[in-house]
Amino acid sequence: MMDERSSKRPARLGSFRAKFILVVGGAVLFDLLVSGGLALWNVQRLSRDATLEVGQGLEAASQEYIRTYADSTAAQVSLLLRQVHNDVSTLAGVLQAQIDDPERNSDVGAAIARTSPGSVSLTYDQKANWSQNAPGSVSVVSVWSYLLGEDHNPRPDVQTDIQTSAVLDLVAPSLLQHGASKLQMYYIGSKERPIFRTAPYTDQAQTFDRLYPGHNEANFWDFFFPGLYESWQGWAKDMKTRPVADDITQTAPYTDAITGKLIVSFFQPLWTADRKDVAGTAGADITLDQLAQTVENVKVAQSGFGFLAMSDGNVVAINSTGEKTLGLRSASDASGSGVTGLERSLKGSSQPAIAKLALDRELGIQHLLLQQEGNEVPYIIIVKKLPATNLWSSGPVRQEAMSLGVVVPEREIQASLYAAQAKISEATNRIVIYQILAILMSLLIVAIAVIAASKRITSGISALADAAKRIQAKDYSVRVAITSKDEVGEAGEAFNRMAEQISYHTENLEQLVEERTAQIEDAKEEISTLNAQLQRENRRLGTELAVAERIQLMVLPLHQELEEFQALEIAAYMRPAEEVGGDYYDVLKSGNRLKIGIGDVTGHGLESGVLMLMVQSVARALQEAGNTDAVKFLTDLNSALFKNIVRTKIDKHLTLAFLDYDGKEMILSGQHEEVVVVRANGEVERIDTMDLGIPIGLEADISAFIKTREISFETGDLILLHTDGVTEAENDAGELFGIERLCREALRLKDQSAEKVVAGIIATLMLFIGSQKIYDDITLLAVRHR
Amino acid sequence: MEISDENFRVWAEKNEVYFDGVFRLAGPDAYAPIYSLISGLLHEGHKQVTFNLTGLEFLNSSGINLLAKLTIEARKMGDLLLVVKGTSQYPWQAKSLPNLKKLHPLVDLRLA
Repeated sequence: MMDERSSKRPARLGSFRAKFILVVGGAVLFDLLVSGGLALWNVQRLSRDATLEVGQGLEAASQEYIRTYADSTAAQVSLLLRQVHNDVSTLAGVLQAQIDDPERNSDVGAAIARTSPGSVSLTYDQKANWSQNAPGSVSVVSVWSYLLGEDHNPRPDVQTDIQTSAVLDLVAPSLLQHGASKLQMYYIGSKERPIFRTAPYTDQAQTFDRLYPGHNEANFWDFFFPGLYESWQGWAKDMKTRPVADDITQTAPYTDAITGKLIVSFFQPLWTADRKDVAGTAGADITLDQLAQTVENVKVAQSGFGFLAMSDGNVVAINSTGEKTLGLRSASDASGSGVTGLERSLKGSSQPAIAKLALDRELGIQHLLLQQEGNEVPYIIIVKKLPATNLWSSGPVRQEAMSLGVVVPEREIQASLYAAQAKISEATNRIVIYQILAILMSLLIVAIAVIAASKRITSGISALADAAKRIQAKDYSVRVAITSKDEVGEAGEAFNRMAEQISYHTENLEQLVEERTAQIEDAKEEISTLNAQLQRENRRLGTELAVAERIQLMVLPLHQELEEFQALEIAAYMRPAEEVGGDYYDVLKSGNRLKIGIGDVTGHGLESGVLMLMVQSVARALQEAGNTDAVKFLTDLNSALFKNIVRTKIDKHLTLAFLDYDGKEMILSGQHEEVVVVRANGEVERIDTMDLGIPIGLEADISAFIKTREISFETGDLILLHTDGVTEAENDAGELFGIERLCREALRLKDQSAEKVVAGIIATLMLFIGSQKIYDDITLLAVRHR
Repeated sequence: MEISDENFRVWAEKNEVYFDGVFRLAGPDAYAPIYSLISGLLHEGHKQVTFNLTGLEFLNSSGINLLAKLTIEARKMGDLLLVVKGTSQYPWQAKSLPNLKKLHPLVDLRLA
């Protein structure tokens, strides 16, 4: 339940989850934007570079293509023209051979007349006033009115020419059939006999009549080609006058009289046998269509076209689209004489750029702006000059070099470039879009993942936070669901345990209080029991100590006992330490013998007291038994005590020394503290007892260790016995009272009574100790020789 | 092994027992742990055991009883050499330690 609640918890601003999402999301977004941006930038740059490269490459290729195309088209046109030239030359060669050999000429003519009479027999047309052979022949031969005699028959010299020219029938059909496609091939006689034989057969004279009225009365040459014949005559005189070193002369395009088509004629003049004059001409016509076809076939890109222009700008071949594009206007030759020309000059173009176009030299690729529907459209144009020929247009023959132009809208030539650019652009855009989509997709996935992960990560923490809040609101039943085994899970488990304990403690608080109260009551009772025990124990210990103290003090000699001795003045002081020590001193009198003992039982308490009591009792017993040997006395005392110590398991021993006095000698035995002797003259002697014995109660037999020492003891001498409680008493500074200080005090007080000596030393000692604790019993004995 | 309180410290290093400070323990019961420690060392089978008392400033009569008992213990071991290192810097040592040699003549008492 908690988990559901917490999962619905919105990612508040400032919440852990929001921060988590912000940090992780921000990092991913940044990364994506940087990498995406870089990718986009690179793609754009790549696209730009590629476009540039492709553009340059394509432009170069396109220009090269156009150039090549123009070259090849020019070559095609030249080839076509050369073929026509060749055909014309072939025909001219045959005819020239006839002229050059009149005899064979007449033989051949006669032979043809014999075999093909239709070719040489003419019929006079009364109405039209010309003669022409009948249809059915290979060629038609027309003889104009001014070449007929009175009898309407051709003049004899004309008839000869008719026969001579019949050789055309042999050659022309074959030439027409093969080689370049020609409209017709013909022979025109000299100016004196300009008969006109043409293959194939057509209603030639009739057509002439219809198209060129008046031609039958005028000389053929002057009527149709004024100036041409004269030019040739000039050449006959001097071949060097030919504008181009070739006999072939081409006409400007004109409307063919026979077919009515726009044609171009190619002539090769025939010479008289002596080469002094013109003897006629061989000719061939090709329709302008044929040239135009080649030129018009030019198709560069979609609307690219070619044109063939004369050097004066007159366009002889162009397709209609090209004509329109270049803004050409056709005008019929208004001269009226000769063949009807075609006037369609570039110079008359409505396009200023075309009107200014130079044809006299090759300029390579030119870029022009042409007006199209009010817009300026860029075009590429390339002009190729064709090989020069002799041209007759009107008047004398001049040199002509036609120009071949190829015109392509730049837009189209660039179309592939544009297409490539568009492709690249399209690809770039696609990549960009994909990239953006990928970024968005990544963002979406990351966002979902981050939100999901954050939900997963923070749900545990949120659940904990919610649960903690509910506990704060005193809802102790709350538990968090443990969904993971990580630290959050562990925290959850710990939380649940805690909540359980809180719940348990809260719910059971009263019971707990009761329990605790009961426990405390129990404890209290126990404490009071223990207290009672302790009190009892204390009382017991106190009693024990009291008993011990009592024993210690009980067995000490009474004051009057000490005053019983005439020779000696004895005074003693004992002060048990707070915890009752084990000091011992005694004065035993037996007869005239006096035994003064001093000792110190290790440790404190009842046992020490008892041990001391034992020592006192044994010593009294031995004294009473008359034991006068000091060594034996101590040995026996030790023996008795050792056995008792073993029996009673009192883990203690004692130092013990005795002074034996028989009125004359003072004998010292046993090991204890140093004995201080202050002589009447003020000398101080310190008698070490270490070698006089050994502690009592350690060994069963100590006889080997016991020694005696006699102390000279004269009137006025003072003997001091003490326990270590005196010399080892500490002052506040931790300093010991010491034997030297004791000696000094004894010396200071030496002239006073034993009682006063003791009291004086003790006073000084107490002053020295001050407030410091007294660790050990203090015992001091003074014996003065009266 | 070490026994100590604020005033004293007694510890064993190999076969040498060091006493340091001021011993004023209340009686045989209070000295029992120290007795056990050193008695244990005596029975460990060393050829020589040293009591280093050079740092022992003060030892009360119960403590001296302890040393005496340990000396008697060592004497019972027979071939164990007991070395007692003391110092005459502290008066009680010169006064009490010779007794140990009396209890066990083979004790090597070195009073520096």
